Amino acid sequence: MKKRIPQISPSERRMYGAFFCVIVVLFALCTAYTRFSPLELVQNSDNFWAFLREDFLPPAIPGAAKVENIINSIFVTVAMALAATTTAAILAFFVSLFGSESVSPFPKMAKVVRGFAAFLRNIPALVWAFILFSSLGIGTGVGVVALCITSFAFMVRAFAETMEDISQDCIESLQAVGASFPQRVAHGVLPSCLSGFLSWYLYCIEVNIRASTIVGMVGGGGVGLVLFSYIKSFRYNVACSIILLIAAMVIAVDLVTGRLRGELAK
Amino acid sequence: MEPILTFEQVTKHYPNGVHALQGISLSIQPGEFISVIGPSGSGKSTLLRAINQLIPISSGRVLLDGADVSAQKGRALRSTRCKVGMIFQNYNLVYRLSVLQNALHGRLGHMRGAAGIFGLYTEADKARAIALLEELGLGSFCYNRAGDLSGGQKQRVGIARAIMQDPKLLLCDEPIASLDPSSAKTIMDILRGMTKQRGIACVVNLHQVDVAIKYSTRIIGLSKGSIVFDGAPEALTDEVIERIYNTSRENLMMGGKADEEAYSANFAV
Ligand SMILES: Nc1ncnc2c1ncn2[C@@H]1O[C@H](COP(=O)(O)OP(=O)(O)OP(=O)(O)O)[C@@H](O)[C@H]1O
Ligand SMILES: [Mg+2]
Repeated sequence: MKKRIPQISPSERRMYGAFFCVIVVLFALCTAYTRFSPLELVQNSDNFWAFLREDFLPPAIPGAAKVENIINSIFVTVAMALAATTTAAILAFFVSLFGSESVSPFPKMAKVVRGFAAFLRNIPALVWAFILFSSLGIGTGVGVVALCITSFAFMVRAFAETMEDISQDCIESLQAVGASFPQRVAHGVLPSCLSGFLSWYLYCIEVNIRASTIVGMVGGGGVGLVLFSYIKSFRYNVACSIILLIAAMVIAVDLVTGRLRGELAK
Repeated sequence: MEPILTFEQVTKHYPNGVHALQGISLSIQPGEFISVIGPSGSGKSTLLRAINQLIPISSGRVLLDGADVSAQKGRALRSTRCKVGMIFQNYNLVYRLSVLQNALHGRLGHMRGAAGIFGLYTEADKARAIALLEELGLGSFCYNRAGDLSGGQKQRVGIARAIMQDPKLLLCDEPIASLDPSSAKTIMDILRGMTKQRGIACVVNLHQVDVAIKYSTRIIGLSKGSIVFDGAPEALTDEVIERIYNTSRENLMMGGKADEEAYSANFAV
């Protein structure tokens, strides 16, 4: 038999093989452990469709006063996302200067700053919301703070990486002319990275529009809370309209930010 | 005359164990035009950056205009750096900003407080920058984005920025390595002319031995972190060149082998 010429190295091949086996075994174990069974899901799907058909559809429109209330709550949710993202972006800008090795006046501290940001970021906004609501009480302001913490941490990381990519060379030349740290930031980092920063900021708005709906549900106010109260009082038809409205809101915001990000990339 | 720059037994060890400079001693007088030549990895860039402490040295002393740069920090270091203009192979401009703004960056080292942060340059500085850019043939590009210029034009902006500093010493790290022969000649002519006219000492890292011989008043040959030649261009004999580059002069002059080796050394990471 003629030996076939392998296209990848045998060690790489073994690695992929092992990786595949591990995935299959893990899937089997997890399915057994959680008693998740795709079959059961198919069997019970009748219940699900019946609920959708009878309780959820068609979407109903409540009275005029209620409609105004719902529309207002949408604006509250958008405002929460905008306020949280903007505050977070401004704070993140200053902190990220110290999180980037090439820019920071204390490069050795950069890892600490990024590590701290990574720690904050790995706790989801929803968890922050629960922690803050338990300690400070519920309310829109506290919801904004919860959103702010995660996006702050995210943007510290994103901004620091943007700086790392772009400004090595011009930082060096500004150092050579004898520019101080604030001067280097104002004349080298900001002009080179501003469009990158804005792009991340817009992305964070998209993320926060979704997150602020969820945080709203657990006590942050806005459209999330309104939706939750309709679901709790079994008025699924109205809830359905609100869900459609939320989808429209998310799509509208995504369209606007996507468009702006496209402009920035030019 | 008082030397503008003195190196006393300077060494540089990188954290990865590379000994990039091994006991370098030299001194430079005002008005000298010095080329530093040597194969890739011989420590030319390190030597240049040790002068204004963009790379901190491991031992020895660097005296710039009488001050010990290697011991300076913070504001003192910045005001010393301000006396040293620097020109880079990759131009190192802020590409989003205008040509004029980039040239004016040379003034930042002379400015304090809010004026420096917000870029409130004096009218006199602005007028001087425009005049200088005109002298460099960039008069009509003042308000173009620096990123939109050609390589030769970018390097001229780099020169304008350095000259705006009113430096006593100009450092150029392979200023013509990314340029075509005719732009390269323009840039070398400008460097020679501007430094002569203003009495600025100039240290240029070069890969082209013929350019070094044509323009310099003094040539320093570097090999593996040590000075193996220091003298007038006329004294740069074929044997010396062979000693610096470890290859015959024909190979260098044909622009072939040595360049290729430099190339593969750069990419064999
Ligand atoms: N940041 C660094 N960390 C570790 N080693 C470095 C660093 N920079 C340079 N080196 C090493 O120091 C030596 C001298 O490098 P340097 O850049 O000064 O050489 P060069 O003469 O300028 O070379 P080229 O002509 O290719 O620009 C090289 O061996 C290089 O690998
Ligand atoms: Mg070099």
